[in-house]
Amino acid sequence: MAVIDRQSAGVPIAGGKLPEILLPTNCPGCGVGLDREGLRAQNYVCDCGHHFRLGADVWIPIIADEGSFQERWSGIRSHDLLTWTVPKRYEEVVDELLSEGLNESVRTGTCTLNGKPIWLAAFDFGFVGGTLSIVAGERLARGMEQAASSGLPYVLVCASGGARMQEGVLALMQMAKVNAALGALHRARVPYFSVLTDPTFGGTAASLALLADINIAEPGAAIGFTGPRVIKQATYADLPPGFQSADFQLSHGQVDMVAPRTELRPLLAHLLELYA
Amino acid sequence: MNVWDVVELARHPERPYSLDYIKRLAPDFVELHGDRLTADDPALVGGPGTWRGRTVMFLGHQKGRNLHDRVGRNWGMMHPEGYRKAIRLAQQAAKFGFPIVSLIDTPGAYPGAGAEERGIAAAIAHAIMDWFRIPVPIVAAVIGEGGSGGALGMGVADRVIMLENSIYSVASPEAAASIVWRDNTRKVEAAEQLQLTSREIVAMGVVEEVVPEPPGSASTDYEAAARSLDAALYRHMQPLLATDPAELLQRRYDRFRYIDSLIGAEPHFGPKID
Repeated sequence: MAVIDRQSAGVPIAGGKLPEILLPTNCPGCGVGLDREGLRAQNYVCDCGHHFRLGADVWIPIIADEGSFQERWSGIRSHDLLTWTVPKRYEEVVDELLSEGLNESVRTGTCTLNGKPIWLAAFDFGFVGGTLSIVAGERLARGMEQAASSGLPYVLVCASGGARMQEGVLALMQMAKVNAALGALHRARVPYFSVLTDPTFGGTAASLALLADINIAEPGAAIGFTGPRVIKQATYADLPPGFQSADFQLSHGQVDMVAPRTELRPLLAHLLELYA
Repeated sequence: MNVWDVVELARHPERPYSLDYIKRLAPDFVELHGDRLTADDPALVGGPGTWRGRTVMFLGHQKGRNLHDRVGRNWGMMHPEGYRKAIRLAQQAAKFGFPIVSLIDTPGAYPGAGAEERGIAAAIAHAIMDWFRIPVPIVAAVIGEGGSGGALGMGVADRVIMLENSIYSVASPEAAASIVWRDNTRKVEAAEQLQLTSREIVAMGVVEEVVPEPPGSASTDYEAAARSLDAALYRHMQPLLATDPAELLQRRYDRFRYIDSLIGAEPHFGPKID
């Protein structure tokens, strides 16, 4: 079922051609062998409805009009402030991920979506589980402050396990840092749309992720504060099937809608017009 | 004393809890209940009392002293209703111009199915954002455990101080061990990595002061611990009382917005925006 009946006519489902991603041979949703090119043309959504997890490098060309993304503050990186050594030295972890071409757990900048200028921030679950770090918090807060002063609508794509253990209490403080800036964004009456993808948990869910004007969840995304493993450990509770799923959050009033990735971009284009 | 000794002192069953301090600071304290939406959360106590000659709104995580109370107080782990109650009382304090004292002592927000069903993530998120718009002075003190987002949801303040043998952490040592090794029995190693003791936290610039406890820790002498906390709270509250509300909110914003800029002796960080 379509989320909106009359979608903005002619808005393509992606802004540009998406990069290839590592895929299993068969879909974890339906077990059928994957047609890689076909999948790429459908924003990596299988015919069965399974949504593959994507990094920021794929999310940016999905949302942004081709060639419009101007990345900001991409040169700042994380450092080991706590002399963290387990299970591996933190500095090494960061070096390795940077050498693989990832650039921190959040990338941000300006772009256009169907010709309309916006601020875009995308989490990257591949970088230490998309965890909120000082660099991630700084990129998010700076972008929100600039969106508040320029009036550009703010679009967020979430995929995060929470705050980053390796940065200790300073990672926790990012929740307050980002929410301070987020309050300023709301007071500036700037539209804020949050796309919640699999998974969105912990300190990210408990700071910016769920405070948008419109929270849009992807089908099948797990969204919550405490993960199911920890809930079971702590309370010995049997969690019902579908607990913390996108539909669960819809029925519990936490998100405005569940929208498939193939309809997301026309939906955002439409919302940008409604909230212009 | 090693790191784990501090964790155990912070969690000591004889340690003074919020009400032990509040009743010594403000003997006329009146407890208020409920979030006006669905329920009252006994893991958070709140209400007005007279402290240093004026009415102050006190808030605090509350743990129980015996098994029955511990269950009733849910070990100081708040549900969504607790954060909504806290913001209701904070807005009431703003209405009457009462300064706010927030005492933090929680392992974290409640990690259970009911909290999830009623939107614990959004409740904490809203609280953190709303604290930045409460135009009265707020001083927070970590008096025992400052665990994760559950603590930060009560810890957005103009000044944050920590008792000597308290801890403040991104996650409890058990949770961190479970995340790093998928094995929560390696909590001691995790605690050593997290840098969660008051001295480490003050060195990072995250809190303003470490408040000394009586010899042998706060558990051994409630009166002395309360006197020490009282003096420190007042030392931080006093200059805030004379501050214009707009400036107070701007400084609170800056306090958290640039909280990691101490680290930023490196050029990557800091308040300059290109």
